[in-house]
Amino acid sequence: MQKTHNRNRYALRPCTVIYIILVSFTFITWLIGKSSLTGLGFSLAVLGIALIKGFMIGDYYMGLRGINSIWRWVIILWLFIPGCLITWAFVSAG
Amino acid sequence: MPSSYTIERRDYPPGDLAIWIFILAELLVFAIFFATYAFTRSNHVALFNHSQLSLNTNLALINTLALITSSYFVVRAVAAIREDKTRLCIRWLIAAVMMGFIFLVVKIIEYHHHYHNGINLRTNLFFMFYFSLTFFHFMHVILGMVILSAVAIKARQGHYSSTDFTGVETGACYWHMVDIVWLILFPLIYIMK
Repeated sequence: MQKTHNRNRYALRPCTVIYIILVSFTFITWLIGKSSLTGLGFSLAVLGIALIKGFMIGDYYMGLRGINSIWRWVIILWLFIPGCLITWAFVSAG
Repeated sequence: MPSSYTIERRDYPPGDLAIWIFILAELLVFAIFFATYAFTRSNHVALFNHSQLSLNTNLALINTLALITSSYFVVRAVAAIREDKTRLCIRWLIAAVMMGFIFLVVKIIEYHHHYHNGINLRTNLFFMFYFSLTFFHFMHVILGMVILSAVAIKARQGHYSSTDFTGVETGACYWHMVDIVWLILFPLIYIMK
């Protein structure tokens, strides 16, 4: 029982796990920029990472994950539509 | 907003519904800005790629980390007030505002550097977008800091508790919106070439 209590005490909160993932993704994005990796593939990969980060903030930090109505999709749709438009623009630019 | 441990099922988003109408309007404006930037870039790829080289990605990294960290602090503030830990909630909110302050200072350093090098809104199309987008977001960060500070003051006055914390959630949602916008802005303006 004591062991379980200690394990819970030192367990990471879900929001802390999300924070660590967000920071890791940010460093990956920065490294791609620092490495001067250019081209459509890298641009879209970086955009994809940003959209996932936005989804995580909306779902876990804003608390939309537990919403049963259309509000659940507000942030997801907002990320999806500009994401598609940006992708379209970058693909058309070559 | 759920505590750090559970997912709460409900029909409406956390916070006051009015803030969500405001958030939707703000997000729509930023979405139009992003799409306009991307399609304008498609006609001036060389100019945009060359201009991007003069941006400081290290400062942008610091700013991204500052906003992500502040969002984390805000989540902890909401979790604290749900547990009736008002003083802890205030501390997390102050920490979040401090992170916002770091963001502003770094951004001012960046703007100063550009102006020192003769780069401004009229330099070219890329910098017109760069200054417009980042300054528009900059103003949102200031507004977010004002909202979080007001929430912290009200919390100190005892307006919030584990049964009445809508105000804290409302401020938190606005701040997370400011964070999400920057998460797209950062790669779009600084990284994607």
